[in-house]
Amino acid sequence: MAQPVTTVTTSGPTPVAPPGAPRRGSGRGRSTSWLIRISVLVFTIVAWWLVTELKLIRPLYLPGPGAVWHAFVQANSDHQVAPGVNRIVRGAQNYYLWEHLVASLQRIAVGVGAAIVVGIPLGLMMSTVKWIGIVTEPYLNFLRSLPPLGYIGLLIVWFGIGDTSKIWLLFLAAFPPITMATISGVRGVREDQVNAVLSLGASRRQALTSVTIPATLPEVLNGIRVAVGFAWTTVVAAELNNGIPGIGGLAYLSGTQLQTPLTIACIIVIGVAAVALDGIIKLLETVLVPWRGKA
Amino acid sequence: MSHDQAVEIEGLRHYFNVRGSLVHAIDRIDMTIEAGQFVCLAGPSGCGKTTLLRLLAGFMRPSEGTITVGGERVRRPSAERGVVFQQPMLYPWLNVRKNVELGPKLRGVGAKERRAEAERYLTMVGLSDFGDRRPYELSGGMQQRCQIARVLTNDPDIVLMDEPFGALDALTRERLQNELLDIWRATGKTILFITHSVDEAVFLGSRVLVMSPRPGRVVLDEPALFSEPGEQIAAERIRAMPEYNRLRERVRQAIQETPTAAAATG
Repeated sequence: MAQPVTTVTTSGPTPVAPPGAPRRGSGRGRSTSWLIRISVLVFTIVAWWLVTELKLIRPLYLPGPGAVWHAFVQANSDHQVAPGVNRIVRGAQNYYLWEHLVASLQRIAVGVGAAIVVGIPLGLMMSTVKWIGIVTEPYLNFLRSLPPLGYIGLLIVWFGIGDTSKIWLLFLAAFPPITMATISGVRGVREDQVNAVLSLGASRRQALTSVTIPATLPEVLNGIRVAVGFAWTTVVAAELNNGIPGIGGLAYLSGTQLQTPLTIACIIVIGVAAVALDGIIKLLETVLVPWRGKA
Repeated sequence: MSHDQAVEIEGLRHYFNVRGSLVHAIDRIDMTIEAGQFVCLAGPSGCGKTTLLRLLAGFMRPSEGTITVGGERVRRPSAERGVVFQQPMLYPWLNVRKNVELGPKLRGVGAKERRAEAERYLTMVGLSDFGDRRPYELSGGMQQRCQIARVLTNDPDIVLMDEPFGALDALTRERLQNELLDIWRATGKTILFITHSVDEAVFLGSRVLVMSPRPGRVVLDEPALFSEPGEQIAAERIRAMPEYNRLRERVRQAIQETPTAAAATG
């Protein structure tokens, strides 16, 4: 119980753990770890600010936190195109930053959604029908190891420069992890769990729907988590060409135009959005598979 | 009790292919089990008793020979042959009640009817207050009770039990043994009960079998003290009886003897 974390701040009454209560991170342990996280964040920002304020690095290479914040605010509002110039422009590249984010989120949602719809049945077929697995597994591994940047050009030739090629790219990046997770989930189902339901009179199909699929669910959800992560890392590649609106496209474009504060603002937004989405999926896991790790 | 033959095993042999060489899990078994018998099968680990149970359940096909249950040749798992596993194979995505009524549900029995059946057996195993819990919220003994209730709710002709109490503590184990005897008396089911405990085999069954390892065969086959479900004697009295201890001694010896010597006497 006495994790090193909790012993750091032992002032006040000694915590008496109620029996059976302290599982992962009791209330006190959790608040302590949050305290540490926030302190580290504050320290990082202060160090960043110091480095830029003391002019140790040229602002073009590393703009200060204030500049990044300014770029973030500007990108979310109508503002003058330059100080003293009366022309008002909308956000960055004619879209607000949040609109860029929403555009990317939509692409990710469609790409990952299609990956779920295709990836899970494919994984089920590959793991339950032997020859399908034998035939398709090498191609899946091949596709999985390709860097998305390598074939985005081909997808543009095939599907045009619009949204279709971007969604295809996100789909291709997202479905292998889901399929792999489904396969490993099905293979991880204990033989006797299936035998038990067959002995209760289930047909093969009933065994699949009432045991194999629910038993695979925790792994599938994990695969979806990995896939969403993959989609985020791929979104810049997808939006390299004609990627506006799009947060990845904006990050890339602003970099090429030497607007480094905006680039950093985009990176932070991407990171925060990705972590938030991951948190939502994790939450979904606790709701959908409460038995995870318990049985 | 009727004395129909519930199980008929003829010329049964089973080999496993372990890294290229054949291992005789079961050498040759011929036997019948009558309906309503409570057969305990004891033997050291590796003697093929679990293999025999899995063959009976239809989880695998025998290398040679035939198994007939209720007049029908065993080819695949079936609701006629309920299986209680050593590890309770309960489904964590279903609560206790839904686990118990799963068999009838798969057969398309209506919700009301199957709920009543499940409730009856949950009460019989003392879990009527735990229907809404998830299996992993129960203790090991309660999980095993739940599994037994699930099999009984499905109303099989024969119940195959693979060391169901092997992983439980001594007290829970004794309590469940008594409960199982009560259930057998109440339902008159044919039971094949596998155990590595001599005591359990002699105490529970109406007939005791002992298997010896490598190659697996039956080396002892005797009626136990109470061959009819009707007889009911308190557990302590059974364990104090001289016949009980004599049978126990014979079973113990049969298990300890070498396979060749045992084959000569058996």
